[in-house]
Amino acid sequence: MNNTGKVKKLKENRVSSIVLHNLLIGVLAFIWLIPIVWLVCTSFSAYSGMNTSTFFPEKWSAVNYAKLFHPDTVAQFPQWFMNTFIIACFTCVISTMFVLMVAYAMSVMRFPMRKPLMNLAVILNLFPGMLAMIAVYFTLKSFNLTNSYAGLIMVYSGSAGMGYLIAKGFFDTVPRALCEAARIDGCTEARIFWNIILPMSRPIIVYTVISSFLVPWMDFVYAKMILNAGISANYTVAIGLYKMLDKSLINSYFTQFCAGGVLVSIPISILFIIMQKFYVEGITGGAVKG
Amino acid sequence: MKKKVLAAMLASLMAVSMTACGGSSSQENAAAPSDSAQSQAGTEANAASADGPIALTLWGAEEDQTLLGELVEGFKAAYPDQTFDIQIGVESESTAKDTILTDVEAAADVYAFASDQLNDLVKAGALLNLEEYADALTVAGKTLDDVKSANSAGSIEAATMDGSLYAFPRSGDNGYFLYYDSSVLSDEDVASWDNLLAAANKAGKKVGMTLASGWYNASFFYGAGFTTGLNDDQTTSIDWNKTSADGYTGVDVVKSMLNIAADPAFMAIADGDISNQLASGALVACVSGTWDSITAQEVFGDGYAATKLPTFTVGDKQVQQGSVAGFKFVGVNGYAENAGWAVLLADYISNQDSQQKFFEQRECGPTNVNLIDSDAVKANVAIAALAEQSAYSKTQLVGGKYWDPTQTFGELIAQGTLSADDDAAIQNALDTLVEGVTAPVE
Amino acid sequence: MADKKNKNVLSSIGKFFAEFAEAIVHGDIFVKLSLVWMGAGYAKRKQYIKAVLMTVLEIAVIAFTVSFAMKYVPKFGTLGTVKMEKVFNVSTMKSEINDYDNSFKILLFSLFSFVVWFAFAVVWIKNVVNAYRLQKLSEAGKHIATFREDLHSLVEERFHITLLTLPVLGVVIFTAIPILLLILVAFTNYDQQHMPPSALFTWTGLTNFINLFGGGGLTVTFGYAFVRVLGWTLVWAFFATLTTYIGGILLSLLLNSKKTRLTKMWRTLFIVTIAVPQFVSLLLVRNFFSNGGIVNTICASIGLTGFLRDIGLVSTSYIPFLSAPGWAHVMIILINIWIGVPYQMLIATGVLMNLPTDQLESARVDGAKPFQIFKSITMPYLLFVTGPTLVTDFVKNINNFNVIYLLTQDVYTTTNQAMANSQAKEVDLLVTWLFRLTQDYYNYKMASAIGIIVFIICSVFTLVAFNRMIKGDREGTYQ
Repeated sequence: MNNTGKVKKLKENRVSSIVLHNLLIGVLAFIWLIPIVWLVCTSFSAYSGMNTSTFFPEKWSAVNYAKLFHPDTVAQFPQWFMNTFIIACFTCVISTMFVLMVAYAMSVMRFPMRKPLMNLAVILNLFPGMLAMIAVYFTLKSFNLTNSYAGLIMVYSGSAGMGYLIAKGFFDTVPRALCEAARIDGCTEARIFWNIILPMSRPIIVYTVISSFLVPWMDFVYAKMILNAGISANYTVAIGLYKMLDKSLINSYFTQFCAGGVLVSIPISILFIIMQKFYVEGITGGAVKG
Repeated sequence: MKKKVLAAMLASLMAVSMTACGGSSSQENAAAPSDSAQSQAGTEANAASADGPIALTLWGAEEDQTLLGELVEGFKAAYPDQTFDIQIGVESESTAKDTILTDVEAAADVYAFASDQLNDLVKAGALLNLEEYADALTVAGKTLDDVKSANSAGSIEAATMDGSLYAFPRSGDNGYFLYYDSSVLSDEDVASWDNLLAAANKAGKKVGMTLASGWYNASFFYGAGFTTGLNDDQTTSIDWNKTSADGYTGVDVVKSMLNIAADPAFMAIADGDISNQLASGALVACVSGTWDSITAQEVFGDGYAATKLPTFTVGDKQVQQGSVAGFKFVGVNGYAENAGWAVLLADYISNQDSQQKFFEQRECGPTNVNLIDSDAVKANVAIAALAEQSAYSKTQLVGGKYWDPTQTFGELIAQGTLSADDDAAIQNALDTLVEGVTAPVE
Repeated sequence: MADKKNKNVLSSIGKFFAEFAEAIVHGDIFVKLSLVWMGAGYAKRKQYIKAVLMTVLEIAVIAFTVSFAMKYVPKFGTLGTVKMEKVFNVSTMKSEINDYDNSFKILLFSLFSFVVWFAFAVVWIKNVVNAYRLQKLSEAGKHIATFREDLHSLVEERFHITLLTLPVLGVVIFTAIPILLLILVAFTNYDQQHMPPSALFTWTGLTNFINLFGGGGLTVTFGYAFVRVLGWTLVWAFFATLTTYIGGILLSLLLNSKKTRLTKMWRTLFIVTIAVPQFVSLLLVRNFFSNGGIVNTICASIGLTGFLRDIGLVSTSYIPFLSAPGWAHVMIILINIWIGVPYQMLIATGVLMNLPTDQLESARVDGAKPFQIFKSITMPYLLFVTGPTLVTDFVKNINNFNVIYLLTQDVYTTTNQAMANSQAKEVDLLVTWLFRLTQDYYNYKMASAIGIIVFIICSVFTLVAFNRMIKGDREGTYQ
């Protein structure tokens, strides 16, 4: 602070490099956003079919959004949205619990079956899961869980425990001394998990929550198989929208499909934006560093 | 019931974790399956106690839902003595097979499907043999022969396998023909591919057709007298690499296809992309079906017209291009519980009055002979063109191995990978095609 | 390494049975009674609640066996013999269907029963060993844990059991059993000719594998297609993993740099691309790059298409971004970067924010340059934390169905007749190929057989890599 001349020079240097730096990010962001912008533009097109030869629609209109909220027999968007939201909430809670539980057991605790179980999880992940779909379907059917949200939630979150590796990698970085100290203080393992490890692991919890919350919004393969009664009101957003792409429907529903896509991404984007705040808190709050 | 199961499960779960004093964790999975027996029993009990109204499920395409609702009400009104509980679900005709074959028992009692799926559905037991259930029709005061004589011979033939009728024909518009802009093209122009392409070149526009699909590109071979067929062991028979009954060789047909595809006015369009290309305004004519009629009307405006497919040149002769006759059927699930009523519902949905409504509300071309001859149907441009083409159309009976090799073959022609001068290469490609299509079903 | 592991597993299994034998030989009458009545040992040692629970479990398993398993397991050897037959009864308007066998259900529920019995057998043996342990404790006059203490141990030294029970149960039901089932299917003739419920299938031994390796039956091109598809699967998995991983780290470093203004806003913009469901965004991108799509219109108007045609890279009037081999392969990997980098950026950001600041501080105090800090502190830390995910990502990409299916289904047509004759395309991953074999051709037996081969290839590769990545000694480094 005492040498003002030097600081000024440094600052000038910095300004140009900062501009370049931010410009680079801007260009990247632009590339990343082109398809999204196109999606939004198409969703505001007055034409109902698919037109891939121009970027901006010839006529603008918000009619596709209006149609989504005045359901006909094909498009029952508000209903689908609720269905998916409910499924996503349950999936998210169960999956996150499973992932964190397994990650803690594998990272912090030591027990004889640990290594074999970890290897087993890797092996199971290797098998092409698409093949097992039909077996999953008949398993659910024997429990009378097809065409039910409970069945879908189970499919989405049942095997979530296998995706523990990222969280485990994170837990591995938490200083062991902390846990030891807590044990000496008479904390139970459950309390260490709940009161020490979890509060320190916000980023990874947020990551797990988001990725599991997204699954029901994205999946159309399992959902189509399990909700196979053809009752449109029971669909999730993903199957509902996907069915609009049917050969006989795409001409009249493509832009509605785009509008639906936009509406789905809005709440998810908001979720991401809110969660970002937690990341930042994760650094500034001293808790992380213990 | 559910609570008990839950309690039992929890109890046994706890018991399991209790024994794990030794500290092993490989024993968690004992409990949950034990309640499957109980819930299974519960399901069966529910199914058995379903007395009272007759429960039926019905699947139809999304765009038909409103009409189907109306027809179901009509069906209920036709049998006032009986109470029904009829659920209508959505399943497009084109994908019905995929969903149904995954789990036949969970599929709807009555469903609509495209005629090319009949064979697979019958083999999987997903369709009732209507001859065995013909007695049910007596309730409606009909016989199966009435159904057979009410619909066009072609549609009944396509719905018949091994001499038995398996489905009720509902519409006959699942085929393709030529849409064109009559303000640019004359009747003479659309009579042959040569004239068509020449006129399009002059107008600076394109003629579109899907080549990369065994459903479309077979039209050239069928036109020249070639055939496809289905053997008893589910393999496909195909003679495209030989000489046809009309005396043309497969190589000749491929050459003329290559000549068409190489014309600058020809545009090979991916399957399903035609409406998009129509909308972009590049096309002056295209080979497509009734599903594109709205787009074509919008684009061509007053010039909107349709007709049979043109002729194409093989050697020095003009050959009429053939096509695939496609129908939409209503079938009854082989596992339907109330099979008799399901047959009646399927018949009701496909009878003359219902076909009339399908034509009026959904512009579906009927199969009912009375309706086909009615003035209203004849006045519909697209359906009239289809009727004109039907004289040259064939029922396409093929196995599953047919589609991928023919698609690739069409793409080879579309991209011009084969040369029209190289007879040996064309023959070789045809031989490979036949080898793939006729491969044994494993 | 693998040898040692096997020995460990084997020796622990040996120990398990040795304990059991010892318990039976040396146990008192109540230990022996535990063989029949599982609560006996506990009842004797006054652990009444445990005794009741074990009894309930035993009854539940017996009830399961009698009422459920016995319906299916006896038919496991033949997979059913009674075909479905039905007769129409005009008076009731219903079909009368006989009590037919469903091969698939027999297979599935038998497997289910085996898993239950296996688990029960383990519990049963453990139970006897436990009863013997209790006997020894009471003989030595030591304290026997009360039910409360047992419960408490579930949040203490046996907390892992509490944590793992439900997740493992989920994995067993929704992953392990289905996979076991498909392994079994590879040894049957389950295909379109033998589809339950209308037809039965049965065991055929190794026939499918013999056919796969050229014993006839299948087309000659099958092996050809298999090698091609496997090759692309591995190439794809390698590049897809590597590009998104590096891209994600670079992007997060870029965004988290001190020079970045409005970090949050930029990050949000990138995150939006994740928020759009893949089946919407990929479908759009696919139309974007289609033969008649916008990119092609633009390339044609700026003369790029003509230039590429002049130098011989393109032979058509458009650039076949997603419709010709080579072009499509590169495009798919590029589009995957677009999809995958924001995800990786999120992970890397999360990790970077947890960097051990004390190390950074001391490095800075020592006068280390930013690049040095990155090379010797940030990078090793990142690699350590995210290393294992590289392996899981690789595996995920081998089975990455969505990206390939959505980008190529219905658009990509192969011009390779040999591939087409085996229902494969150059851009197919093994999963998408298998998916079509089952969805379009109902060829479950072959799909399962190929699935097993794929599985063996992948697992050999991955287990080696995985064990390197998470070798025991590495786990302690940053703790």
